[in-house]
Parts: sequence; structure tokens; C-alpha cells
Amino acid sequence: MGVIRNDIRRLRFEHGEMTQQQLADKIELTRQTVNAIEQGKYSPSLEAAFRISAVFGKPLEAVFRYEEG
Amino acid sequence: MSFREKSAWISVISMTAIYGYYFWSVVQAGPHLGSFHFAGLLGTVIALIVVQVVLTIAVAIASPGDARAPRDEREKLIELRATRMAYSGLATGIAMACFFGALDPPIVFNTNALLIVLVTAELLRSGCQIVQYRRGA
Repeated sequence: MGVIRNDIRRLRFEHGEMTQQQLADKIELTRQTVNAIEQGKYSPSLEAAFRISAVFGKPLEAVFRYEEG
Repeated sequence: MSFREKSAWISVISMTAIYGYYFWSVVQAGPHLGSFHFAGLLGTVIALIVVQVVLTIAVAIASPGDARAPRDEREKLIELRATRMAYSGLATGIAMACFFGALDPPIVFNTNALLIVLVTAELLRSGCQIVQYRRGA
């Protein structure tokens, strides 16, 4: 079974060292959920993934990628 | 720790302490409880409500932003998984209580057997939530 990886941590720092709380507020998730997504412990819904990508002004595949396990 | 996780901890701790004391009292009193049973149960429910409301308000005052925020998708998923687990426990417990009832015990035992099942299911629900929050899942 594959896993969904992401570059949210890097993108946050490239966007003015945005904190997890700031990102969470923008996409209406909790800071704990953003942290879980960053660590790959929780795979966000498609809607949340699109909202995260929109915050960084990137296409979905530039933020998230699927890797075969 | 998120507001929802703190709420789950409040539920586990308060229910364990207050219902634990209630069930201990029931066991101590034996099968002839009479009016104590009703008064004890009523007092237990009131104590539980008061303790949980007070503690939840205290936690909400400490982190008002978290408390006001609606549940996000991960929190909803955690609640759903925990409720599914608790339902399995509840169904199993009810079935066991039915077999217990067939042995024709005093009515007060039947009532408390059902109450134990209900409390256990609620503890299971809150416990599952805490485990998932701790894992980050």
C-alpha cells in the first residue's frame, strides 16, 4: 500500500516561515491536523489538499505526491 | 493538546472517578439497596454533569480559540472511528446483560449491569479518541 508524501513543511518556510497555526487558520483545519498531515500520519481529503495547494499557489502535484509502498 | 483531546480526557477521568465511586458503593451495599440506589444514581449523574461542565469551561477559558473552532475533518473522522468501536462494545455488552438478566437476578443488578455497559461504551469511545489523537492519526 502506498503513502501520500508532501512538501508542506518546506513550502511553509518558503512562504515567510509561515507557522502551522497560520496555515491551519487559512484552510480551516486545526494546527494538530496540519501537523499530522505534514508528518504523513493523516491523509487530507481532496478538498483540504486543494485548499493547501491554493495557499501556496501551487498545483496539487507540487505539494502532494503518491509513493508506492 | 487540542481542545477535543482535553475534552476526551475530562470525560475519561470524571467518569472513571464518579461512576467508579458509584459502582463501589453499589457493591458495598449489596442486593438490598432500596432508595439508596435511586438517590445514589441521581447524585452520580448530577455530579458528573457538574464536574464535566466546570472542567470543560475551564479548558475553554484557557484556550478560547480552540474551543470555538468547529471540528475539522480529522477530528470528525476520529470521532466516527471511536463511536464505531464503542458501538461494538455496547452491542456486545447489551447481549451479555441480556444473558445475565435471564438468570433472574434482583432488578437493581439488572439496572446496574446495563449502566456498566453504557459507562464502559462511553469510556471506550473517549479512550479510542485519546489513542488516535496521541498517534496523530
